[in-house]
This record gives sequence, C-alpha cells and structure tokens, in this order.
Amino acid sequence: MDLQSLILTLSRFWGDRGCVVQQAYDLEVGAGTMHPETFLRVLGPEPYRVAYVQPSRRPADARFGENPFRFGKHFQLQVILKPSPEDVQDLYLASLVALGIEPSVHDVRFEEDNWESPTLGAWGVGWQVLLDGVEITQFTYFQQAGGLDLKPISAELTYGLERIAMFLQRKDSGFEMEWGGGLTYGEVRRQDEIELSRYAFEVADVAMLRRHFGDWEREAARCLEPEDPLVIPALEAALKMSHLFNLMDARGAIAVTERVALIARVRKVAQRCARAYLAQRERLGFPLLPREDNGASKGNAGQRNGGRR
Amino acid sequence: MNAGDFLIELLCEEIPANALPSIRQQLAEAFSGELTDAGYQGFTVGALSTVRRIVVHAEGLPAMQPDREEEVLGPSVRAAFSSDNSPTPAALGFAKGQGVSVDSLRVVQGPKGEVVAATRQMPGRPTPEVLGEICERVFPALRVPKAMRWGSGDYTFVRPVHRITALFGEGAFTEKVHVSLLDVGSNCSTVGHRVVSPGRIDLRGAKGFAAYAKTLAEAGVVVEPEGRRRAIEERAAVLAAEVGCEVRLDPGLLAEMAELVECPGLLRGEIAARFLDLPEEVLVTTLRHHQKCLVLVREGAVAPFFLAVCDRPDDPEGHVRRGNEWVVGARLADAAFFFDQDRKKPLASRGEALANVVFHQKLGTFAQKSALVEALAGQIAAEAGLGLAPEFLARACSLLKLDLTTAMVGEFPELQGVMGGIYARLEGESEEVWRAVADQYVPVGLEGPLPRGALAAVVGVADRLDTVAGLFGAGEVPSGSKDPFALRRAALAVVRIAAEAPLRCDLQEAAHRALLLRKETVTGEMDAAVSAVRDFLEERVRYYLTTVAGVTAEVAEAVLAARWGVIPEDVARARALEAVRGEDVFASLAVAFKRVRNMVSKSGEGRFVGQLLHEPAEKELVAAVSRAEKEVQRTMERADYEAGLRALAKLAVPLDTFFTDVLVICDDENLRAARLALLARVEKVFLRLADVSRLSAQ
Repeated sequence: MDLQSLILTLSRFWGDRGCVVQQAYDLEVGAGTMHPETFLRVLGPEPYRVAYVQPSRRPADARFGENPFRFGKHFQLQVILKPSPEDVQDLYLASLVALGIEPSVHDVRFEEDNWESPTLGAWGVGWQVLLDGVEITQFTYFQQAGGLDLKPISAELTYGLERIAMFLQRKDSGFEMEWGGGLTYGEVRRQDEIELSRYAFEVADVAMLRRHFGDWEREAARCLEPEDPLVIPALEAALKMSHLFNLMDARGAIAVTERVALIARVRKVAQRCARAYLAQRERLGFPLLPREDNGASKGNAGQRNGGRR
Repeated sequence: MNAGDFLIELLCEEIPANALPSIRQQLAEAFSGELTDAGYQGFTVGALSTVRRIVVHAEGLPAMQPDREEEVLGPSVRAAFSSDNSPTPAALGFAKGQGVSVDSLRVVQGPKGEVVAATRQMPGRPTPEVLGEICERVFPALRVPKAMRWGSGDYTFVRPVHRITALFGEGAFTEKVHVSLLDVGSNCSTVGHRVVSPGRIDLRGAKGFAAYAKTLAEAGVVVEPEGRRRAIEERAAVLAAEVGCEVRLDPGLLAEMAELVECPGLLRGEIAARFLDLPEEVLVTTLRHHQKCLVLVREGAVAPFFLAVCDRPDDPEGHVRRGNEWVVGARLADAAFFFDQDRKKPLASRGEALANVVFHQKLGTFAQKSALVEALAGQIAAEAGLGLAPEFLARACSLLKLDLTTAMVGEFPELQGVMGGIYARLEGESEEVWRAVADQYVPVGLEGPLPRGALAAVVGVADRLDTVAGLFGAGEVPSGSKDPFALRRAALAVVRIAAEAPLRCDLQEAAHRALLLRKETVTGEMDAAVSAVRDFLEERVRYYLTTVAGVTAEVAEAVLAARWGVIPEDVARARALEAVRGEDVFASLAVAFKRVRNMVSKSGEGRFVGQLLHEPAEKELVAAVSRAEKEVQRTMERADYEAGLRALAKLAVPLDTFFTDVLVICDDENLRAARLALLARVEKVFLRLADVSRLSAQ
C-alpha cells in the first residue's frame, strides 16, 4: 500500500466513524497535537471526533536526507475521539484491518508509553502500538491540556505514516517508499529534506528568529487582552513561537539557562489560549453539547459515542 | 470441612509492565488481611496477572463467614454499678445497645481504668457478600505508578476496566459474587486471548482456580506470570541451541517480557552481519533496551540473532519475525549512522558543546562539573596516596562528560559513559583514561563489577561526591520515597568503591571539600550543609556495613559512633568487632564503657594529674590504660583490629574494680578532675576502635 492510499484509507475509515475529516493546519507545527482541532477541542465538555493528516516539523530531527528513518518534516495522521469510547481499542484495531493488517497473522501489542508536552502544558497516558515489534501508532488518553484537567477524556491516535508505509512496503529507507502516482517519497521530498536541514542547522538567522519569538509573544498578548479575546490568532502566535523555538534549538542557539524559560513563555501563551477558549465556548453555551430540550443530539460524536455507559 | 473457592478477574486495557508486580503484591496482602479480619482462617490467596488481566483467587473459604465475637468496652465500673452493686441505667443501656443481658457484662481493664465490657456476637454472613465488599475496598485502594482517567473522566485506575468476572462456589464456581467497580458490574464469564480465542467463556461450573487457569490456557492466556516467564525461558534456550548459541543471561528482561503478554510467544530473528561491527555495548543496548530483545552469544561474543517476545503462540506467515527483524535492522542502522556521525569529530573537540549541557538548573553545566570533579579527584587521589599521574587524571576528567554531546548518547542515554569510553579508546587514549570514562557510572548497586583501575575509582567517587554535595548544597535533598537525582544510589556507590577499590581517604573530609568547591551554590549555612552530607553518607556506610560487610546493626553503630570516614578501615574495624564481640568480656566491657562515657559527657574531662591518684584501683587503671594505649597503637599500625579490641578488653577488670572502689565524683575538686581525666583517656583509646557502649550487654 503506498503512502497516499494509506492516507485515503485511514481518512475514509475514520470519516465513516463519525469523524470530521479535517485538513492539516496551515502553520508549521511540531505535531498534530498542536492543531487547534486537537489542542482546543479536547478542552471542555463538548464531544468531538476529528481526523486529519498533519505535516509535523522537527528541525532538530532533520538529517540532510541521509538517514533513512529520520525526517525534519514527517506526516502524522491524527485522530481525536472525545470522549474516548468504550471500544476505542477495537476501533483502532479495525483501522489496521482496513489497511490490510489482519490480526490473525500479526502481533499487535500495546506497550506503555506516556506523553507530555511542556510547551502545551499537556500530558497523557497510553501506549505505543507495536505491530510485529514496529512502533506504528502513539495512543494517548489526554489527561491535561493547557494546564487544565480534562473531562471528558479524549483518546488521541497518532499514526506515524512514513513508518507504517515503509513497514507495509518492506522498505529499508523512507526515501524508497512509494508515495503514489508512480513516485517515491524520496522523489517527492528528498530535496526539501536536504534544504530544510541546511536551513535549520546552518542558515537560519538566529537574531531574526529570536526577535520574532518576542514579536509573536507580544502579538499573542494583544490578541488575548480584550474582553472578547481572539483565541485562534493568539494560538497561532503561540504555534509560531514554538516553531521559532525549535529552529533556534536546532541551530544550537539556545543557552541551557534560557531553555526552560523560553518553553515556559510558550506554555504561558498556550495556557491563556486554553482558558480563553473554554470561556468563549461557555459564553456560546457549549453549542456542540447534546441538547436536552428536544432530545436531538448535536455534535459529531453522536450516538455511537456515548462514552462509557 | 467444607471449603469454597473465590475468583475475581478484571479484564483491562493493556496494563504497564512496571505496575503489575506491585499490584499483585498489594492484592495478595490486602486480601489476606481483609479475609483474616473478617474471621476466616486456613485459606490461601493468590494474585496473578497478564498484560490485560488482574486476577485474585482464594481457596478454603466456607460458604458462610465464621461467627465472630467482639468485645465492646462500655462505661466505667463506677458509672455502671451503684453502691449496692446493682446495675445503673448506664449499664442497662449499654447491655441493651449491644444486644446482651446485663448479667453477661464483665469487668475488664480499659485504657483509663476498669470498665464493663460486653461480648457481642457477630453472626457470619454469606461469604460471597463479604468477598464483594472486600473487592470494592481493595481494588480502588491499589497504588500504581501512574493512574489515569478515561471516557467520561469520572473514574481513576491504572487502565480502563472492561469486564469483571467474580465467582464463588464449593467444588465448582456456582455463584456470582456481586462486585461493582469503576462503573463496571461483575458477571460470570470472561473472554480469551484477543486473537487466539476472543469469544466469551462462561466460567460457571468451572472446578476452581485450576480449572479456570486451564480454560484460559486453552484460550491462549497463561494467567500465571511465573508460568509465562518459564515458558519464555525454555523457548529461548531451544531457539538459541538451534543456532548453536546461548542466551545472554538477563533475568530482569525475562521477567519484564513475561509481563508484556498474555500468551508467552518468542521468536528468533536475524541481525545483518554488517551490524556486528558496532561496539558490543551499542548492539546490546539497542536490542535490549529499545526492542526488549534477548541477546544471543556464541563463544562470548554477540551472535547475529535476537529473541523477541510476541503475544501469540506462533508466526504462521513469518510476518512477526520479519517485522521484528525490520525494526531491529532500522534501529541498528540508526545506531550505525549515529556512530559514524560521532566518529567524524574527535571526542576531545566537544568541550565547547558541553558548556551548553546543563547538569542542574541551580548548579550549572557539565563543563563546570567536569572542572570541579577534576579538582576534587586530585585532592582525593593525593590523600589516598595513589600516585596517579596528574596528566591522566586531568585528561580523564576533561573527557568524562563529553559523550553527552554525541548523537549516540542523545539517542541512547543509557550509554552515557560507555560511549565516551568507546570513543576515547578508539581515539587512542591510554587504557587508564578510557576506562575511567567508560566506568564512571559503575557500579550501579551492591553487586556487579567495580570501576576498572584506581583512576576510574577516584574519578567515580569524585563525580558522585560532587553531585551529592552540589545538590544538597542547593537544597535538593532526598526525602522519603523522593530521590529524583538518585543521590542515595550515588552515595552508596561512593561507599562501595571506597571500601572495595579500595580508597584510603577520609570521606568526611572529601565531602567537606566537595562542598567547598560548590560553595557558590550552597543556599544555606555551609556547616549545616556539611553535616547534612556527612549524615547522608554515614547512613550509606551503615547500610553497607550491615548488608555487604554483614555485621549486626549494633556493631555498625559502635564503629560509626567512634569515628568513620576511611571506609576500608571502618569495614575492617566492624568485621573485627563482629568477630570478637561474642567473647564474654565484651558484655561487661559494654556496661563499664557506658559508665565511662556517661561520666565524661556529663562532667567534662578535667585535668589529668597522675600524682593525685592514690587508690590502688585507680593506679591500676592508669597502668592498664597506658598499656592499652601502646598496644592499640601497635595493632592499629598493623591494621590488626581484633588484637586492638582484645587489648581494650584487658581494661574490663581494672575498670570494674575502679568503679567499685573509687568514688569519681568526690568532694576534692582536684581529685575529681584527675579521675575524670583518667576516664577521658580510657574513652579516647576506646574510640580509636569502637564505641563499645553501643553493644548490648547480653
């Protein structure tokens, strides 16, 4: 199965299970978790289901296109199920079957692996899913985001698409994996891996990055100042800060002493966004909550997703 | 005697391997305790688990809880009976409340005097009812490393629970035990292995736990962790023998593998020959820590195979083996890539990058730490008289932490030190130097090898002492179960290396120096920090003496109370005292020396004026002390502490006579001072070896 069939199959699978099939966020982010469809939607009482592919930037992981397993930008397929349904493991296993992975001849194991993001003030508990020993998915029950305890709890499934495609195709190098359209991943992406590596490690203008970090922090503060704060623009500013931080880090420009302080500055904005979002949804009367007055259920979690009893 | 069996199984989502051993232990203890408290006797309890199940079973429980009697204390005797001995309304009310006749009240001794007491009859209830309540108390109280919430977020447990099976019966499980936990109610059936046999299994009629275990085994689940561990171990031996190899012993990993599955499957995969060129430590770490694979060896060297656990009995199409081989290959390719990257830049050229690696927020970088370790190690080496070449010591310390900046350690943090040692060796550093780098985190505990060579020992001690002193100074002191920087382990390693390398330097002095080197980051009083670090080290010395040196707690106390610091000598003194303390004379010596210490500590030392002492007993003691002083000095020079202690033992008789015949606290002030001074001399000579007053006078 090539990469694009993998994406199409998983999108279809989760779309059929009540997910909004969203698109990637149009900013540089480190992980699908930073997409507002995850970071904000997991907050508060409203049910939600969403799936999307998120190109994820990890400048420090870039390897000039030389390491067959490491990329400065890779693709995650992210699924949020809120609240986490009783049969979430079965749903996940069914998604593997949709990819042609029959449990009857494979070994699928859920091995403890917890997750934490200091920049988002978020953490969760869960597993890495091992398929025949290969980690293919990060499976997390979000416990906290933006420093806020979550209730209900969302399940986050993050499929590592390059990994899965390489595994399904038995390729020893990500760059040889078939993307679709008759091209390999390397033919589509290798040159930008090389250039992004050079930029991240050798070229990026640290003074400019540092300046913009401060600029976006101020911009976020301006967005959050009014009675009726601009949540999305503020969060976008926080995401930019986070990416600028990652670039400076890859460039080796972050002194040990300031590292924790810089992360704390991003987290502070992210936490303010989380609180502002929650207040905003409350003002709106949590519109995606199932309505009791007419018995009709709103929100895409629907009946399929009543949570645990 | 009729006896029933109980079984409860919680079917969960996959439970972390590190939580399971403690969960089993807590459950076994809690159920035993609860059943005993409920009046049951002669039963057995077992707690088992798989990665998806938590199971408790008990055998030998009657269908009805035994009737019990409970003594209930009532009003005081004075309040209960009037002057003519007739019961008062208080006594009548108490008896009525307890459902007994007033005639049956007895008088017993209460905490505040005599009270009346009633023996209340507590009829037994049906055992399943009692068991259900016990389950509902015990499971929610389990302590786990990391609990979680899910779904609605209303409940907290180690992982979501999907099904509870709870049964009781005599001879066979006939009755459901009603249990409700985490919003899940109990029933009488379970399910088998997710792939092997996912269907429902009705357990009604199953003949006890053994039948349950057998039924589950047929459904692909081995419910006993030890059974899975054994199955994996046996299979590993077979798979290794098939290719002429042996399994590299790894009991910890074997036990962990058994916790990761329901069905103990194991498969052998191959490693591409080109990866065997990687350093063995890298190969083993990749396989062991990252893929949880057992390593095979042939003639002492790593062989091109690994054994991986899987949660299924077979591998019908070879997918599982190929997947594991693929990921092991990917991991090793990654490691090879990092290794090549690192080798492009000499270790010694990484100093600048190390200035960017924080040791601790309050204590600065590893570059600074390396400099402090060098200073401290130099002082320790000089005091211990090791005659180490200063340039080797400086070189080892400058290379010590540089591997923290390598790609390999970034990827495999557990190879800290090891990688530095490998790179230093490959770059032609002298053997002493690369070993000091390689062995800086050795030993990990009380077992396992020591650092190789004196340089490695000194550097290992200095590095850890700097860590302990630095963190104590900065207020990062371990408390209770919280020891995030593993300072206890570090301090114990210091003691062990000093004892066994051996290093003849005073650790109290070394600790003081370590703090002086870190004085800029000491937040409180320096003196307080010094004594805190010393007390902390002393506790580790005590632990070492009572475990490794094998002396009793009071012998360790006697040795430590006298003095401590040069650990090989402390250990030798403790062993000597342990050897001689059984001799009769030491019992009376303990008593006599206790009096000496009391008097000296209460009354001060006084001035020793020999000619004032005129009683025969005190003259005899003077002579005996003089002889003991000389003899102790001689035996100390030979490090013959047993002989030293026997020399002290000769003071027992003169001391007894002295205390019988001589009044120390006499009216003549000068004479009193002289006698106290004599006792102070006695104290001093004892304390060169041991404070025998700490020994019990058995």
